[in-house]
Amino acid sequence: MSNPDRFSSIVCFVGGAMTALWSLKYGIGSFSEPGVGFITFFAGAMLALLALLLFFSSLREKGKTDGLRALWAGFDVKKVLYVLVLLVVYTALLRSGGFPLCTFLLLFFLFRVKGAYGIWTTLVVSLFVTAASYLVFQEWLQVQLPRGILG
Amino acid sequence: MIDILHHLLFGLQVAVQPVNLLFCFIGVLIGTLVGVLPGLGPVAAISLLLPATFHAPPVASIIMLSGIYYGAMYGGSTTSILVNIPGEAASVVTALDGYQMAPQGRAGAALGISAFGSFIAGTLAVVGLAFLAPPLASVALKFGPPEYFALMILGLTVLTFLAGGSMVKSLMMACVGVIVGNIGLDLVAARPRFTFGLDILLDGVGLVPLVMGLFGISEVLINIEEKLDRQTVFETRVKGLLPNRKDWQESVGPILRGSIVGFFLGILPGGGAVISSFVSYGVEKKLSRHPETFGKGAIAGVAGPEAANNSATAGAFIPLLTLGLPSNAVMAILLGALMIYGMPPGPNLISAHPQLFWGTIASMYIGNLLLLVLNLPLIGLWVKILKIPYPILFPLILLFCLIGAYSLNANVAEVGLMIFFGLLGYLMKKFRYDGAPLVLAMVLGPLLDNSLRQSLLLSGGSPMIFITRPICLAVFSVVLVILILPLLKLRKIPEERIS
Repeated sequence: MSNPDRFSSIVCFVGGAMTALWSLKYGIGSFSEPGVGFITFFAGAMLALLALLLFFSSLREKGKTDGLRALWAGFDVKKVLYVLVLLVVYTALLRSGGFPLCTFLLLFFLFRVKGAYGIWTTLVVSLFVTAASYLVFQEWLQVQLPRGILG
Repeated sequence: MIDILHHLLFGLQVAVQPVNLLFCFIGVLIGTLVGVLPGLGPVAAISLLLPATFHAPPVASIIMLSGIYYGAMYGGSTTSILVNIPGEAASVVTALDGYQMAPQGRAGAALGISAFGSFIAGTLAVVGLAFLAPPLASVALKFGPPEYFALMILGLTVLTFLAGGSMVKSLMMACVGVIVGNIGLDLVAARPRFTFGLDILLDGVGLVPLVMGLFGISEVLINIEEKLDRQTVFETRVKGLLPNRKDWQESVGPILRGSIVGFFLGILPGGGAVISSFVSYGVEKKLSRHPETFGKGAIAGVAGPEAANNSATAGAFIPLLTLGLPSNAVMAILLGALMIYGMPPGPNLISAHPQLFWGTIASMYIGNLLLLVLNLPLIGLWVKILKIPYPILFPLILLFCLIGAYSLNANVAEVGLMIFFGLLGYLMKKFRYDGAPLVLAMVLGPLLDNSLRQSLLLSGGSPMIFITRPICLAVFSVVLVILILPLLKLRKIPEERIS
């Protein structure tokens, strides 16, 4: 798998084909009485066909031999993964842990991602932003943020 | 004519109501801010603020969201001229000559002409919108489901044609958008579709988590790994914001031409601010007596595109407000917003909700005036904001996304959905897939499904209805031409190689 387009076209082909097949399960009906899966069947089938077209056109591109790794070469992908993990953990703990605590911890770790500031500065800024956002969204805009262990 | 003036006066009465005026001010201020900040465009900003508007009056909300859109066009020019980093895509062209004017001590003139040009273009476009939208809406009243289906297909096709990069990839994203847009309970058969037993998907995939993820979260992820360099801000004090007589002489023509080009390209599906600014630059370079000065600090290269991108934002409202068809991703989000507010856009919008239609149009005029007043004195402030380090900025953007997605229905699952789309958007950017066709198709998905089914029911199951009706035939002919064009272009390559 040398070409990113080849990889993405295979993923899209599988996605499109599965959508079309699943739509058949829902029932595509007929032209006079279209079923639940009618439009998704055609969208899925078209996606699969276009993915095939992309796949074969990528085979014809001789000069483009960069691998998937090239897409991330020179980039700090670890930071992306780290931020994604932080976001997922935050989402998982938000209800039980509550907005103030989870947000403070999230911001503390996010501000540290680039490592540009010291721990004390980060702590103070995280605390300030958490308090300000709680005040704005919970108190002023009446968004019902989870209080979690605080309450 | 008198009718239009009467309606505009009514619109002004709506727009100057304190709450609407305040929202207009907030909108243009935020718009300028997101235009200034690279990596946060109007699509992301509108997505982020959409949930906050659910607690506000609908007219004020639309006025604010519109303000963000055209305000971003103003703000984008500041970064282009001072930093050579376009705050958003429509200001890419402005950087070519605007940034070259800065080292010559003419940054003030560049910023000034871009603000004045934007104001003039915005004003002209609002007048055009007021005059063109009502007759188009009355024509659109005669459209049936087949015509709407054809127009939606045309919108998607044009957008995929004009979208950057591969047209095949854009079409693929449009297909994904149609699929995602049709997830949820099928209203005709009352059966769930692609919900996989998840309650959160029964009402369909929410527009807000999708756009926040695709445009907000993904942008942050891309910027984190890219390490933006923000230390190149033009340090010299900006002075002389009022363009001199010679600047005006060189800019009047480009501003007027840019206004016209931008307005009509803005109406076209997929046209929008980006394309119009590029076209305007090309036109000015071609018409100039000194085309060699372009790229070296020609003021016409700033005035024309800046006028065009502002004019295009007003033009883009025409298909949305009269036909209910969004011409770009921002309009798709506004379409979703209008539906959430219970004001579905379309030919009936003007008569059913005149305060929304005329109020928004009049507010755009007021907004343009506010922008002119805001932009020139506040340029120093925008330059300072540009210097906010990204390590401080990105956690705030992420926090805003998280709260925005949660506040929709106080549901953590929607936050998870947004993160999923954030990852998807990041991968799409990596693999060079455009997000705009996906969002547009996602919003249009249920409408496409409905109009297709209704058309087939009307014709007793005959797809020939799309050919026998003249408007449909004309629209599908255009679609066919657009789809064939790239193939002809592909065939030309070997011929060129041979020659």
